[in-house]
Amino acid sequence: MIRVLLFARIADLAKTREAEFECAEEGIALNELTKQVVARFPALEASLAQPRLLFLAINQEQAWLDDQVKDGDEVAIMPPFSGG
Amino acid sequence: MTKAVRIQTEDFSVEEETKLLHGGNGGMGGIVTFLGTARDFSKGKDVSRLEFEEYAGMAEKAMNSLRDTAMEEFDIIDMRIIHRIGTIQAGEQIVLILAGSAHRGAAFDACEWCIDTLKKTVPIWKKEITPSGESWVEEHP
Repeated sequence: MIRVLLFARIADLAKTREAEFECAEEGIALNELTKQVVARFPALEASLAQPRLLFLAINQEQAWLDDQVKDGDEVAIMPPFSGG
Repeated sequence: MTKAVRIQTEDFSVEEETKLLHGGNGGMGGIVTFLGTARDFSKGKDVSRLEFEEYAGMAEKAMNSLRDTAMEEFDIIDMRIIHRIGTIQAGEQIVLILAGSAHRGAAFDACEWCIDTLKKTVPIWKKEITPSGESWVEEHP
């Protein structure tokens, strides 16, 4: 399983902060995973259509759409930060 | 000893943190403080409170990495970074950055770099609650 964490506006749109996705043995490209996320949470379609406006992480390290996600990974989909 | 980099819901004492930064170090000639506080307006609207959310673990890691980089890149003796999360009422303290150096220039530079970079690289989000509703902030003024 891949654990996907959603934050702030993205979590509000999806109405959840966390979801689990099945993962094939060979893993899956982050790009493919985000398509599955949109399929499950259609409200995220517009936000995930512009992934360069989002910050992605795999296991708490910054990641890019062509990075590979494997079983057991934690993926975070985050809108632009606004701390401070 | 309280950690030099922290994310917490409770308020912090600028005086206490300043003492901890100085630590009796006779070589420290200047301490620059950035204290971020919650404004009661935004884009022409009254803001009654803010709500901060973090990516637990990654946010603290990113703040530790900020401090490490600042210690390497600027001629400072020490730095402390404290950020609150949860509900913060207008007027309350949000974030504290302290930089101490032998001469003031490096501390000013390190402090400014740190708050600018924190806003762009630390996974923390701010929601503004106004009388007409609430909205997430997604830009870095």
